[in-house]
Amino acid sequence: MANDLESALSIAASGMRAQGFRLKVVAQNIANASSTSDRPGGEPYRRKIVSFANVLDRELDAKLVEIKKVKEDPSQFSLVYDPNHPAANDKGFVKNPNVNVLVEMMDMREAQRSYEANLNMIESSKQLMSRTIGLLR
Amino acid sequence: MDMNKIAVFRMTTGKMGWLAERQRVLSQNVANSDTPKYQPKDLKAVDFKRLVQKSEGMQIARTHRDHRSLGSEGQKYQVEKSRDPYETAPDGNAVILEEQLIKAAKTTADYELMTSLYRKHVNMFKIALGRGQGQ
Repeated sequence: MANDLESALSIAASGMRAQGFRLKVVAQNIANASSTSDRPGGEPYRRKIVSFANVLDRELDAKLVEIKKVKEDPSQFSLVYDPNHPAANDKGFVKNPNVNVLVEMMDMREAQRSYEANLNMIESSKQLMSRTIGLLR
Repeated sequence: MDMNKIAVFRMTTGKMGWLAERQRVLSQNVANSDTPKYQPKDLKAVDFKRLVQKSEGMQIARTHRDHRSLGSEGQKYQVEKSRDPYETAPDGNAVILEEQLIKAAKTTADYELMTSLYRKHVNMFKIALGRGQGQ
């Protein structure tokens, strides 16, 4: 019985770890929002996307969350005319990263919300445990 | 004294086990709230009337260290898919955090009710033994 509550804690912790990783990728995207190439006509930073998968943990008999893979966003780069830029191609256009800061912010909020929900589950499992221990009093 | 012979104790501990298991399932749902194609799960409701009436049944003797008890492993609760989730996201995930957190809050409240019942009943024994507060 207490084992169930302990595995509830581990499951919520795996969710928090996954959301933390997602926040890391969001931070990476935002930090590189204007990382252009250093070669003329080169490719700039490509936005990264995280996808989750659930993995059966046999010991806990539960589905934990794990990062499946970090993929790259295949959408097109925006072109800006700036002939003096070191990354400009022979027509004078510079490729900017396909990062939309607004989309990243939205992703960040969602990760934050999920993180808080997991934290809530930990809080309430902890409360159940302390209620059980309280029976001894 | 075997506490499990008394119906109130058997019922409260049974329900506490069920609630703890449910908390585990809800925790799994919340952790997978962004996993594509994940369908939320819930525990099948247990008939607690039967839980009260149920006798302990026969136990198999364990004569070797590799033998396992049928006690707790025997009565696993059934996990089933939530039947009518509020909505399903385009990626196939049907976990709604609010729904799960409401269920978790209800689990906590029920658990507290069970522990209070348990404590009250223990208190009755203490009164009978002449050590209670007599409230």
